[in-house]
Order: sequence, then C-alpha cells, then structure tokens
Amino acid sequence: METIAKAHMRLLNLMKTGSELIIFGVFVIIVVDVGLTICAKWGLPVIPWDRTHGFVEYGLLWFTMLAAPWLARIKGHVFIDAVTQLLPDTARGILAKFAYCVVIVGCVAMTYFSAQLLLESIDNEALDDRGADFILWTLYLPMPFGFGLVAIEFVRFLVGIDDMYGSRTDVREGI
Amino acid sequence: MEWYWAFALLLGMVISFLAVGVPVAFAFIATNLIAIIIFAGTSGLIQVADNSTELISRFTLGPVPMFIMMGSLFFHTGLAIKVFDGLDAIFGRLPGRLCYLTVAGGAIFSTLTGSSMANTAMLGSLMVPEMNRRGYSQKMSMGPILGTGGLAMIIPPSALGVLLAAIAEIDVGRLLVAGFLPGFVLAALYAGMITLQLIRNPGSAPAYDVPYMSVVTKIRLVSTNILPMGLVVFMVIGFIILGIATPTEAAACGVLGVMLLAALFRTLSYESMKTAVEATIKVAAMVFLILMNSTVFSQMLAYSGASKGLIEWVTSYELHKLVVLLMMFVVLILLGMFMDATSMMLITVPIFFPLAHALGFDLIWYGLFVLITIEMAGTTPPFGLLLYVMLGVAPKGTTLFQVAGAALPFLICDTILILILVAFPELALWLPSLM
Repeated sequence: METIAKAHMRLLNLMKTGSELIIFGVFVIIVVDVGLTICAKWGLPVIPWDRTHGFVEYGLLWFTMLAAPWLARIKGHVFIDAVTQLLPDTARGILAKFAYCVVIVGCVAMTYFSAQLLLESIDNEALDDRGADFILWTLYLPMPFGFGLVAIEFVRFLVGIDDMYGSRTDVREGI
Repeated sequence: MEWYWAFALLLGMVISFLAVGVPVAFAFIATNLIAIIIFAGTSGLIQVADNSTELISRFTLGPVPMFIMMGSLFFHTGLAIKVFDGLDAIFGRLPGRLCYLTVAGGAIFSTLTGSSMANTAMLGSLMVPEMNRRGYSQKMSMGPILGTGGLAMIIPPSALGVLLAAIAEIDVGRLLVAGFLPGFVLAALYAGMITLQLIRNPGSAPAYDVPYMSVVTKIRLVSTNILPMGLVVFMVIGFIILGIATPTEAAACGVLGVMLLAALFRTLSYESMKTAVEATIKVAAMVFLILMNSTVFSQMLAYSGASKGLIEWVTSYELHKLVVLLMMFVVLILLGMFMDATSMMLITVPIFFPLAHALGFDLIWYGLFVLITIEMAGTTPPFGLLLYVMLGVAPKGTTLFQVAGAALPFLICDTILILILVAFPELALWLPSLM
C-alpha cells in the first residue's frame, strides 16, 4: 500500500514538473517567436515558423490539466467556506462529504466524456484547424488523466485519508 | 422553461454548490453537467467536455500565466526590495512617509506585476512591521496597503484584466491600456486621502528622523534601483500601445525583461526561477481550471434564454443606464463579499456584458468599471480575499473588522474614481484610442 502511495505521489509530482516545464516552454517559445519576427523585419535570414500560436494554445490546456491533481493534493483548488464556517462540526462534516461526492461525480463524468472525445479523434484522425493543423487528439489527451487523478484525490478526502478543509494553514492564493 | 426559472436554476445551482464548499471549478462543472441534461438532454453531455477546452486554449489568455510569472520573479529575485530602497531615498523626514512610500511603491509594483494578492502580501509583509515599529496606528498602516495592493487589478499588466477581456470577448490590449491613467489617478487619490487623514490625526503616522542622504546619492539610488524597471514597463505597456507585440507576446517579453534585470542585479538564481514557476502554476492552473467552465456556463445562460430574457426585462423598465450601472455595482460588491474574483466574473460577465452593450456603454470602459468594482469587493468584509491576505501578514490579535475599517477610506477613493470615470470616460478611453 505504501509503495502505491509513493508511486502515486511521484506521478503527481512528475505531472506538476511537466506543467512547470510547459509553462516555461510557452514563455520561451513566445520570446523566440518575437525575436524571429524582429529579425525578419530587419531583413535577417530566419527559419520559417508558424506554430507558436498552436503550441501556446495547447500548452495552456496541458499545463492546467497536468497541474490539477497536484493542486488537489496540496488543497490548492479555491473554495468558499463562508457558509460552512457558521455550521456545527457534524453538519460541516456531512456537507464536506457531499462536496467531495459532487467533485468525484463531476470528475468521473469529465474523465469519461473526455476519454470518449480522445478515442473518437484518434479514430477519425481529426486535425484541429486552429494554428497549424495540430492532431486533435493531442488536445484531449491530458483531460481524462487530469480529471481521473483529481477524482482519485477527492476519493482520498472522502474516505478520510486527508481533509481538504481541515488543514489549510496559509492564506488563499489567487490573482 | 421560462427565462426566470432557467436563470434562477443556473445561478441557484452554482451558488448552492459554492455555499456547501464545493471547490469553485468543480461547482461549475457540476452545474454545467446538470444544466445540459435539463436543457439539452444526455446527448449534450459530451459537449461539456468538448467546449471546456475552448476558452483556456486561446492565445489571448497567454498573458495570465506570464503576468503571474513576471510578478513572482519580481518578488522572488529581490527586485521589489530594490525598488523600495530607491523610493525610500526620495522621501525625507515627512509625516506619514511610510504611507506615501506604500502608495508610490504599490503603484510601481502594479506596473510590474499582474497580481493584486501578491502585491498586497508583499507590501503587507514589508511595510506593516516597519510601520508598527515607527508607531503608526493600525488604520494608517493597513489602509494604504489594502488600497494600493488592489491597484494591480487596474494598472497594466493585470492578470485579472486579461481574464475579464477573454471571458467578455473584448480586446485584451485595449482593456489593459485603459487602466493605465485611471490607475495612477487612483494612486493620487490614495495619497490625497492619506494627507487628509494625517491632517485630521497627525499622531497616527508620526514623522521620524531618517539618515541624511546627499542629492547625488538619492539620484544614484533612483537611477540604479527604479529607472531600469522602466524597461519592463516599456516591454509590456509600450509594446502593446505601439502595436509592436500582442498582449501575450508583450507579457512574455515582460518576463524576459524581469529576468534580464534580475541577471543585471545578480539576483537571478535557479532557486528564484523555480519558486516563481511553481508559484505561477499554483495560481494560474487553479484559475484556468475554473475558466474551463466559462464557455459552457455562458452557453447554458444563452441557450436557456436566461440572458436574453433578463436583458429584455431590464430594458423594458426604461431605467436610466446609470441606475442599471448602480444596480450592477451593488450586485458585484455583494457577490465579492463571498466570492473570489474569477467566480464573480464567470457568473456575472455573461449576464452583465450583453446588458451593458444593450444600454450603450463602451465595453472597454465597462470592463474597467468591473475591474475597479471587483477590486473594491476584494476589500469588503466579511469575506473580501484581500482582507484575509492582509490579516495573514498583520500583527497577531488584529481582527478582520479592524482591517476592514482601515480599508474604508480607500474604498471611498475607489468610488470617487468611478464617479470621475462616469463624468470623464476619456480618462479610460483616450490611451486605447491611440492603438
């Protein structure tokens, strides 16, 4: 059991690192693109490259989905506790279980439907007409994994391995 | 189903899920799934998954993580402290100097970071202990920080501004630039409010002796610590106004600018970069997961007839458009007492923007109005998030209502700015008109 837990944590951290690399890659690719555009304006020879938009657009979805399970593990998904704070412990406990169930059902549904989209787009060999004709299934690929792993995180909360509401120590993050 | 039932059902579901503590992103997912079954049947369920990829895989949303990364780098590399040291040299032995320093520092930070939370946390942790040491009253120490922290929502680069523009489908660059002048007018109003408070109660922020500094030293500090930041401001705002780069490209150039400056000051390290990137995904991925639901939620409001019905109902009363604007203001403030900014935008933008358009408001101007109101809502008790950020860095024993009381005079400044914008919309629309 401990081995599985460790492997699970390692997977979440690996996905988080992937998310970090993607967002840093998005920054690099945009800067390089701006640099190439400026070079071209100055008449310098540049390698033609028209995939920046596509990479950025796909990168934004990928970094979100890869980070989502790790965010659930660190209790980083923002929630509102204005009402539940006013309730007695028992009622708060029941509502917490209800909230976990809502998330699990929602994520399982999203896992199922995004997997369906993924399989359909693989079968159809569909192309995404945005940007530079990306293969469409690469857009859907991170979704079933991301939502599936988020569902597992909330199952952990539901069975009492951890508590999303109980151990938050820092101020809420946001923009 | 009548539009008002559809409207009540959609809003009721979201608000109920949020009230019982379902994380925001998943409250919207659950609402969208249930709503699509009600309005379109089970065959529409796959559309929830498909359409959720639509908004967050748009190039126009690129500035959000870039602005967050820019701000994180700015704070984690120590550049922010350098700006403060530079500003500290300008203000001599002046009553309330730390308050003015907060406003000036906060306004400059706002041109370099896109996050009001980070701004408030940074100013709070930096200035509150020093203000307490110098005998400033709590009102004078926390108020200016809360007001100034929120400037980051208005002054470009603003991550929230990009989100708003993307959800409302208005021009990102024009909305960002529209906040530039009003942001600095607001900073001036804050400085005026501090002066007024000092006249009324001079003992609340006593003057203290500062070490003598020659004019040459002052000029040197300003030239080395503040002026180079102009490079980053130009790389973001200048590039957008001059049309050299799109907002996404300008934002990435801004990150590069902060990195170059940090390298120049020898404060760029692998550790600071790693921390900044981790902070970026922590905030941006959380916000993007919430945003995934925006398209489907808007579609549900439109498909069910709720948006159209509401617009027809409101316009049928032939109310003056400023009365409707006031009503929207009150709704946003009330929602902001309980909700974070992204959820508020997801719920209100699909309803309010078509209404504002129907009433003849310029949508860039209206977008700025929404941003200012959201900023105000963030400092409104009992659950304004900036109040909690401040509480997190305030001395032990500080109550939420003390923090809220300190913010009140600065909320009045925000209201004055809104009135100025109503009277002189050009203040917001002049710079975008140059683009």
